[in-house]
Amino acid sequence: MVRKAVEQRSRVLLVLVGLVFAVLAGRLAQLQLLETERFQTLARENRVRLIPIVAPRGEIFDRQGQKLVGNRPVYTVSLVYLGQRDLHAVVEGLAAILGQSAAEIEAKITERALRLFEPVKIARGVPMEVVTQIEERREELPGVVIDAEPVREYPYGALAAHVLGYVREISGPELAANREKGYRPGDLFGKDGLEKTFEEYLRGKDGAREVEVDALARPVRDLGRRPPQPGNNLVLTLDARVQEAAERALAEAVNAARRAGHRDARGGAVVVEDVRTGGIVAMASYPTYDPTVFTSYLSESQARELFSNSDRLMLNRAIAAGYPPGSTFKMVVAAAGLEAQKIDPEAAVPDPGYFPLGNQTFRDWKPGGHGRVDLRRAIQVSCDVYFWRLGLAVGIEEIARVAREFGLDRATGIELPGETGGVVPTPEYKYALVKKSLDRQYKPKLEEIEARYASLLGQTRDPETRRQLETEKQKEIDRVLARYNSHSWDLQWQTYDTLNTAIGQGYNLYTPLQLANYVAAIANGGYLWKPYLVQRIVGPDGQVVKEFTPQLLARVNVRPETLAVIREGMALVTQGEGTAAGIFWGFPVPVAGKTGTAEVHGKEDHSLFVAFAPADDPQVAVAVVVEHAGHGSAVAAPVAREVLKAYFGLE
Amino acid sequence: MGRKYLKNLDLTLLVTALSIVLFGLVAISSATHATAAQGEDPFGFVKKQVLWVVLGLVVLWAVQSFDYRDLSRYAVWLYVANLIMLAGVLLVGSTRLGAQRWFALGPFMLQPSEFSKVIMIVTLASLLAKREGQLLRLRDLLLPMAFTAAPMLLILKQPDLGTALVLTAILLGMLYMAGARPSHLAGLVLTGLVVIGGALWAHVRYGTWIPLKEYQVVRLLIFLDPWQDWQGAGYHVIQSQIAIGSGGPWGRGLYNGSQNQLNFLPEQHTDFIFSVVGEELGFAGALVLLTLYFILLYRGIRIAAQARDTMGVLIATGVVSMLAFHILVNIGMTVGIMPVTGVPLPLFSYGGSAMLTNMAALGLLLNVYRRQQRIIF
Repeated sequence: MVRKAVEQRSRVLLVLVGLVFAVLAGRLAQLQLLETERFQTLARENRVRLIPIVAPRGEIFDRQGQKLVGNRPVYTVSLVYLGQRDLHAVVEGLAAILGQSAAEIEAKITERALRLFEPVKIARGVPMEVVTQIEERREELPGVVIDAEPVREYPYGALAAHVLGYVREISGPELAANREKGYRPGDLFGKDGLEKTFEEYLRGKDGAREVEVDALARPVRDLGRRPPQPGNNLVLTLDARVQEAAERALAEAVNAARRAGHRDARGGAVVVEDVRTGGIVAMASYPTYDPTVFTSYLSESQARELFSNSDRLMLNRAIAAGYPPGSTFKMVVAAAGLEAQKIDPEAAVPDPGYFPLGNQTFRDWKPGGHGRVDLRRAIQVSCDVYFWRLGLAVGIEEIARVAREFGLDRATGIELPGETGGVVPTPEYKYALVKKSLDRQYKPKLEEIEARYASLLGQTRDPETRRQLETEKQKEIDRVLARYNSHSWDLQWQTYDTLNTAIGQGYNLYTPLQLANYVAAIANGGYLWKPYLVQRIVGPDGQVVKEFTPQLLARVNVRPETLAVIREGMALVTQGEGTAAGIFWGFPVPVAGKTGTAEVHGKEDHSLFVAFAPADDPQVAVAVVVEHAGHGSAVAAPVAREVLKAYFGLE
Repeated sequence: MGRKYLKNLDLTLLVTALSIVLFGLVAISSATHATAAQGEDPFGFVKKQVLWVVLGLVVLWAVQSFDYRDLSRYAVWLYVANLIMLAGVLLVGSTRLGAQRWFALGPFMLQPSEFSKVIMIVTLASLLAKREGQLLRLRDLLLPMAFTAAPMLLILKQPDLGTALVLTAILLGMLYMAGARPSHLAGLVLTGLVVIGGALWAHVRYGTWIPLKEYQVVRLLIFLDPWQDWQGAGYHVIQSQIAIGSGGPWGRGLYNGSQNQLNFLPEQHTDFIFSVVGEELGFAGALVLLTLYFILLYRGIRIAAQARDTMGVLIATGVVSMLAFHILVNIGMTVGIMPVTGVPLPLFSYGGSAMLTNMAALGLLLNVYRRQQRIIF
């Protein structure tokens, strides 16, 4: 053994070892001395989670202070990203317990792929049994977090569902549109009704909890807390008692009508409006739904039942469905006649029970007629012949003008989503409507001819044949156009259109809200108020955030005397020979009203009733529509009576 | 025993090693007490490790007590026994974490590949000592290489890439001290690196065949860019660097590192124990540990340089190579400059087989030290 060589080589070995240690120490210095801050931030991000505390939404109260919409805590299940690989197993386990599909859960996770450190909400409104199951299987379900969160509670159940609307998890497009307002996936969002319109007020400001978690995202200790800020409360013009009465009476009327053999009687609406302000006291739509279903997981079939039901449960018929007004329109014609000074309200004319027009005869609803009628009596007994004559005398333009004065041609602007305007019939409207349907009918025929000849012409080059084909084609086109043009008479406004319009048939279409507002304007002497539902927005501290005062849309350009005569006629409807006299017999408050029966092509008539009360000092206007339920006085008027009973506190 | 015995004992080496072991026990207690499940003894791991340390000291005493020179007589038998043991584990061993590495012995899991390292040091030393001065030609290196390759292939089959690489390091260190030409060795290392690197590159780039499982390839390469798969393969590496980096100069305090205590660190009592030191005791603590290791290796090299004969030189060199390689690869892995190969930190990581092996290795060093020639001038 050469000692010297060994010693030399061992020195080299020592240098090599020293080098290794120098490299390691250098790297340690880099990580621990130079990049400390960066790694300390990363370590903090690892262990500190911001868990949002969902703020309760504002509550909704009726005019008496009764809570219509509140909040209650429910369990939610969320999944926190763990930086672990076997997420799939957790998702599968969770899906099995929750009864959702794994794909659905995974979709929610991917949706949030960019915000890994926030929990992903998987289910809301989870029942206690499920919570227990999850707790029992904690070990297999790392990252699954159970929290309490407020959801909507409805002390009155389905009451006023269409007005209040509902909340549900925010959708992709809504999120995209509201990103800058700080919405996150999984947040609740007003989808319909006042919940939607007043979303920005009702929504609270979420708080947060800073929590230290371990590697399995299990909270270890609380580091801090920012309390959530509840949303603002709404105080409505609605009166829960009247609303209840309206909904109950409407449902009973619809069901009674159906039991009585009116097969298509499935829906209806009631609007009760304060004639002095435009404040809506009650607004009912039938059939209805229970918004509570949206507070927990909604299965596919439940959602389908709600949204594509043939009875259109979700539709607020009071504002979004147009009905022909039937005889409730006669006050418009009466006003037009009086304004145009075509009639003397005191002059009585004989009613033979029919009205001849050319070779046609229009028959009154009452065979044999009503004897001698003046304007008041014509309203009282709903004399068709009187209004046919009057309608012809004033003409369609004047009728339409007065209808517009009462706001019947446009949406009222109530603070609810989905309101539609009405249709006031005019010659232009008819022309456009009929032409559209004619075009729809004839355009395909012309196109078919073009296509057919194009292919025939493509098959031949012989100029003689081609010329022949061109001629034949032109002939065919001419024949179709001739037929099209033969309809020109249908496009024109005809006398019978005026007659139909005069008794509220034909092209007339109005929402129950429009009818109520129109009757209110008659009752209050010509003030067309903007109907509204929210009187006040109140902060969680009780401070008034916003106050809503009555808003005048327009003064109805009709003389007060005209309206007075019409009111007198309407007051007679519930008396003596009036069409609703039997129904209001003995009613302690004088009621002015008007029945209506709207013919519907191919189906049974809609039953309508409009009213205001007290007749001598009007406070409220009521409009009732019951679909396909037959005669007005029989079905709709009793609903109005029940509503007024509740309004005046009678029983 | 008595004075003479103590005089022939390398106290510095022994005290340093015991300091490392004690330091390790503290780190293990921090790494395991918080994560112990409800009702479990929070110091269970420490107690078991203490047991292994005591057993290891017995082994150390035993190994240093007889004359290492006698070992060359049994070298062949040792070598054959090693091969049988390694083959045996492939046939009847228990599988854990996808590798067949363990013999289940009652409640303990013994890892023969650990012991094979020490056996290789002894048998290779015996082989090379006989060929002193006959390693100058490249083809002279073939026999020792083949000699090492046999157990290495068996270990690779388990698969245990880390240990196989340790054997390579031992071989290289011992060949160098035995007189092989440095240029030959450097050439071999370079060729090996190029071949392995090229094979890996071709595999990743063109999907060519490679004698490794896919997860091994991923683990080998992930340290280059752990963030590309920070939730998966890169997770360990990143969490370890976060732990060490966030420790800063003075550390976050013993038992107080969030990465360790909240379990973000994986394998924090075994392969990634150094990250616990880095996080909780900072650069200062890490440097203390590095210094202790350096003293240990320095003493080892000194023993090699002053050994009585070639076999002694080679045994000491083998032990030093083994320890140095372990330290480099383990700490390098935790700081992100070495691939993840599952090599524990000697005398420090939790684990019985490794503790026994390292104690035996220290025993070999002490053995060589005891019998060095005292040259009296």
